Amino acid sequence: MEGLLFNVNNGYIEGIVRGYRNGLLTGANYTNMTQCETIDDLKLQLGPAYGDFLASLPPNPSTSSLAAKTTDKLVAEFRYVRANAVGSLAKFMDYLTYGYMIDNVALLITGTLHERDTRELLDRCHPLGWFETMPVLCVATNIEELYNSVLIETPLAPYFKGSLSHQDLDELNIEIVRNTLYKNYLEDFYHFVNNNPDMAGTPTAEVMSEILEFEADRRAINITLNSFGTELSKADRKKLYPSFGMLYPEGTLMLSRADDFEGVRLAVEGVGDYKSFFEAAGLGGGAGGPGNMAGGTGSDGKTLEDMFYQKEMEISKMAFTRQFTYAIVYAWVKLREQEIRNITWIAECIAQNQKERINNYISVF
Amino acid sequence: MSGAADREAVFPTRQSLGLMKAKLKGAETGHSLLKRKSEALTKRFREITRRIDEAKRKMGRVMQIASLSLAEVTYAVGGNISFQIQESARSARFRLRTKQENVSGVLLPAFESYLTEGNNDFAMTGLGKGGQQVQRCRETYARAVEALVELASLQTAFVILDEVIKVVNRRVNAIEHVIIPRTENTIKYINSELDELDREEFYRLKKVAAKKQRDNAETDAEMKQKRENQEALDREAGESAAADDSAPADILAVDEDEDVIF
Amino acid sequence: MTSQADYKDRQFLAVIGDEDSVTGLLLAGIGHVTAPPDAQKNFLVVDGKTDNATIEEAFNRFTTERKDIGIVLINQHIADRIRHRVDTYTAAFPTVLEIPSKDHPYDPEKDSVLRRVRRLFGE
Repeated sequence: MEGLLFNVNNGYIEGIVRGYRNGLLTGANYTNMTQCETIDDLKLQLGPAYGDFLASLPPNPSTSSLAAKTTDKLVAEFRYVRANAVGSLAKFMDYLTYGYMIDNVALLITGTLHERDTRELLDRCHPLGWFETMPVLCVATNIEELYNSVLIETPLAPYFKGSLSHQDLDELNIEIVRNTLYKNYLEDFYHFVNNNPDMAGTPTAEVMSEILEFEADRRAINITLNSFGTELSKADRKKLYPSFGMLYPEGTLMLSRADDFEGVRLAVEGVGDYKSFFEAAGLGGGAGGPGNMAGGTGSDGKTLEDMFYQKEMEISKMAFTRQFTYAIVYAWVKLREQEIRNITWIAECIAQNQKERINNYISVF
Repeated sequence: MSGAADREAVFPTRQSLGLMKAKLKGAETGHSLLKRKSEALTKRFREITRRIDEAKRKMGRVMQIASLSLAEVTYAVGGNISFQIQESARSARFRLRTKQENVSGVLLPAFESYLTEGNNDFAMTGLGKGGQQVQRCRETYARAVEALVELASLQTAFVILDEVIKVVNRRVNAIEHVIIPRTENTIKYINSELDELDREEFYRLKKVAAKKQRDNAETDAEMKQKRENQEALDREAGESAAADDSAPADILAVDEDEDVIF
Repeated sequence: MTSQADYKDRQFLAVIGDEDSVTGLLLAGIGHVTAPPDAQKNFLVVDGKTDNATIEEAFNRFTTERKDIGIVLINQHIADRIRHRVDTYTAAFPTVLEIPSKDHPYDPEKDSVLRRVRRLFGE
């Protein structure tokens, strides 16, 4: 059914995005990149994929400028696709950007709290999370003004409403604010893909549900692991878990009670994938959990985080096996982000002369 | 250092000679002590410079590892956390303590790092994503900073030792090239003056003696002359008692002659 | 020369560096902001827009004005920008340490202390 009318509005977009996907770097490209001796060599290797964007870089650019330029390409392509999108796909793509907006707003909140000139911060915002009214937020000089303008001016208003008051912005750690917003965002996105008449019951809902459920679980697990040893109480922690996902509700409940790595492992045991991740990470990390591996050098075992990324990439790759779905846009953005991370990582390894860990990138093609 | 001109302004007396001799002895002892101190310090200094050289080279490596772990954080968090980190810095967890080490009487301060307890500005950073990498990065950087602190201690020691050695060497050189020669010169001068005085005295005494002798001789001669004269007179008198008598008698005789008239 | 009081209160490090170096060192926990109202930070982030006067001012503040700083870390490429100032700085406290940055590997030839070392050994 969805195949009948999908192409009327979205066929072009799908074609473009599939074309972009084919432009992603492959395993062979990565192998070539890891052989590079200097950043200039790397730049040369990236020539076919990123030529125009890297052209303006000086010889031997810094890794951060390399990352910035590669991100520019993603942003340019995303904007092109967004400009051509109509109807519910346009809305879907807007949802995609909300995640970045949350980071940007969190940045502005931090800036306002510390009485910084927030205009300077606009440069630091992620371009995908840019929204037209963002400069308006910079007018706010105190947190209450900011809160009110956030509520009025940003698409994030519903995520603030009901869960955060302006006092919260002042008192709560910015990370809690960020994660509360993110939880609300994920839940809203999940609700959107499953209830929008254009998407409900289509492959989009199916694929996106899988992706978002995974994202929700990942956040829940990460928050739990990272909250050990901080002042975040279990009750507060529980509030940050999204109310869907494969772990929800039993696993989430167990997560909220977990005290250590072992507790988390027990909580996620119900889900096969996570169980195997934890087993692998558990072996690598020893008693202290996966986060405490000494120094980061020479840890051959992949971290939990790495495995989550790997899993995300696989899900994203699988999304392209489906047709007539918006999910490929999401998957493409995620794959592309991973590609940028990979390039940055490889560049960093070359720049810091740490070749032994250069193969830690994640490539799925 | 042209010899005689450079000496202390003292009166060339025996007392000041004694003082100068004591001073020379003191200077020589001081010189050997300072020389030894300077040698000990230089030894330490060379060791420190060598270690600085090594440590500075090592630091390059350590910092590379640390920045790679920061790259890992960026990789895992998927964004830039630096602003947040900068803004959430409140109170230093990593602090310094200074202790001292005594090298040949020079107090060399050394830094020691320690972590304050229960003071964590960044516990929540990366809560949703990458928190483990953040914690690991903190450990890596803490180790890197420890290495830097060690290097800083060495460098402080280097700067202080450099200064101290300069001062000590200046003193050694001053003693060796100024004070000792000058004291020696003074002693030489006093000695020569004293000798001169001695010679003068001796000459004077000799002169006095010579004069005395001459005087004596003169007196003797005079006496002798007198005596001789006396003797001669006596003898003459004895010899020509008549003549002696006659003469007045002559005069008398003459007078008498005159007188005789009446 | 250096009296006890000169350094016993020095318990902080200060850093002048690019964003990555500062972030890393702050993560290690050296960041300290003094109590308001003057709220002085012990770190300065230098980017392409920061002018030399700002760097120099921060350097002077860390080395001469503040008495609680024991070590000043400065990225070598930033030290290069105020080289005359760094080279003429000879006091023992606080110690100025030139550190490499991510994008600028360490060059022992430029280090003011190492150059002194070299000069002393007549190399």
